[in-house]
Amino acid sequence: MISWFLHLPFLVVGILVAIGLYTVLFKNNLIKIIMGIAIIQNGVNLFLISLAYRKDGVAPIWTSAPDEFMVMPTPHALTLTSIVIGLATTALLLSFVMMIKRHYGTIDADKVRRCRE
Amino acid sequence: MNFVEHAPTLILGLPLLFAFLIPLLGRISKDMRDILFLMGLLLTGLFVGIMAYEVLTVGGWTYVFGASTSEPTNPITSYFRITFVADGFSVLATLTIALVALGAGLFSFDYMAGHAALDKFYSLFLLTLAGVNGMVLTGDLFNLFVWFEVTSIASCGLIAFTNYRGKSVEAALKYMILSVLGGLFLLISIGLLYGQYGVVNYKLLSDGIAGSPGLFVNKLALGILLLVFGMKASTVPMHMWAPDAYSESPGPATPLIAITSLGSLFVLFRLTFGVYGVNMGPGVIGTILIILGVLSMFIGVSMALVQSDLKRLIAYLSVSQVGYMTMAVGVALTTWTAEGINGYGIMAMEGGLFHMINDGVYKALLFLAAIAVIHATGKRDLNELGGLAHKMPYTTVFFLLGALSIAGIPPLSGFSSKLLIYQSVYLYHPILAIIALVVSIVTLAVICKAFFNAFLGPDQGQTKGEVPKGMLIAMGLLTVVLIIFTLFPHYVVAEIVVPAIRALGVIP
Repeated sequence: MISWFLHLPFLVVGILVAIGLYTVLFKNNLIKIIMGIAIIQNGVNLFLISLAYRKDGVAPIWTSAPDEFMVMPTPHALTLTSIVIGLATTALLLSFVMMIKRHYGTIDADKVRRCRE
Repeated sequence: MNFVEHAPTLILGLPLLFAFLIPLLGRISKDMRDILFLMGLLLTGLFVGIMAYEVLTVGGWTYVFGASTSEPTNPITSYFRITFVADGFSVLATLTIALVALGAGLFSFDYMAGHAALDKFYSLFLLTLAGVNGMVLTGDLFNLFVWFEVTSIASCGLIAFTNYRGKSVEAALKYMILSVLGGLFLLISIGLLYGQYGVVNYKLLSDGIAGSPGLFVNKLALGILLLVFGMKASTVPMHMWAPDAYSESPGPATPLIAITSLGSLFVLFRLTFGVYGVNMGPGVIGTILIILGVLSMFIGVSMALVQSDLKRLIAYLSVSQVGYMTMAVGVALTTWTAEGINGYGIMAMEGGLFHMINDGVYKALLFLAAIAVIHATGKRDLNELGGLAHKMPYTTVFFLLGALSIAGIPPLSGFSSKLLIYQSVYLYHPILAIIALVVSIVTLAVICKAFFNAFLGPDQGQTKGEVPKGMLIAMGLLTVVLIIFTLFPHYVVAEIVVPAIRALGVIP
């Protein structure tokens, strides 16, 4: 029997990505845009880790492993990488916003458009 | 130690090594820092050359990290290990990247002299170079994501390097937000493919897709990949970051940012051809690429018409040049059957890929010449510039060569690749060839305006003289490459471009 709640994480992923995209597209505050990106990031991480779940699988540690299903560690590695990279990108984005605030005196995306002139 | 076999990993290992050495050993003295940067560039170029020679004379190979023997067919190694692909396509891509990086790197010694924190600039430069090389060389989606993010972060750092100017930070923030979103969607697409097939290796993935070509998840993942790499390659609906990023980045970084977008186009072609192959529905994807290409060509060049900022003008021209490549490859795709590309499709493919290496070189030359003008005069508005040809004869010649190439004037190399595109695209549909020709003519008009305004006319005393020698050497290097492409287009197509097309598996 496939338990229905195994699909629940993907529903949460959909909701998280949708909330994040809404924030990025329709908010003007740069900090809020970055928060939206972070929400999408978490949604994507959850997506990868839910993909990796195998029922009755064991951790892929080869030394004296039981003779059972082992879970492929690729999505876990990918998620870890993504979390680390996410930290770096969020920090970089926020430091850009700090500099924008210093130069423009505002973090309203509609007013930060000197490039277009 | 066999250096030839390890060339693919050294191509990105060396820039990484020097990127971290420069801030450390650069403390010793300024000369040390400059020498390390130059060594990093030259050694990378050397190994690109070695790999190119080996692939083109002997044949390609798959580099498997940590394996005692390179065994790409062994399932254990393929599932778990990191692979790099050294084939004709990697050679074309890394050659383009190395040439542009060498030109831009040599240029930066004199241009950036006097800037504070120069070691960090060199570091970011080499990190971007390593990232792009990794993107085009990698053989699995996991690594693709990692190098994608390395490139994004490093190139955004480069754009924002002159952070005392608000505009630079604004451009960097814009590009960074798009890049991070792109990276996340790339991750979703990797997740979709992994969830279906359980592998991230290109080769195994393409076997999996060949086994079940009709699945919806394939198409969804392909659509996301097109979106992400189309954005990075600055094709038109997603091009808005490009003019800002190109015009606000500090001088020598501009060609490098341009090459990251060209590198993304290389990756897109490798993914569509190498992973999906004929199962991607070549007709539909081909048509999408043609539409993207026509839009990029047309909107890019019409936006360039109204610019008065020299760098921004070239940035829009570069957006329109990307359109030629996407259109040509799109046309080639539409002729693809199970036996491979046939008839005019081969010519379109040759034209498209030849245009990529061509475009990388002359665009870099044009950007560098424009940056030299800005460096010498301190002005970037075309309405204020004038009469520079009297004091800056060399820069004038370099700018003119790059400009005529981008406009596709015979006999320059831009013409050879554009002619291949015109001919083949005409056989697909005449209207496309007409659009391509019109765009070329408008490009000529734009570039004439820029050239006349900046270089011709009476001497207005805006500059004391020619730019320093280092900059001239860098531009001279790219000019020599351009002249080689101009004199021997047939040789370049036969020796470099055709192996690349063969590596994509579309012709025998």
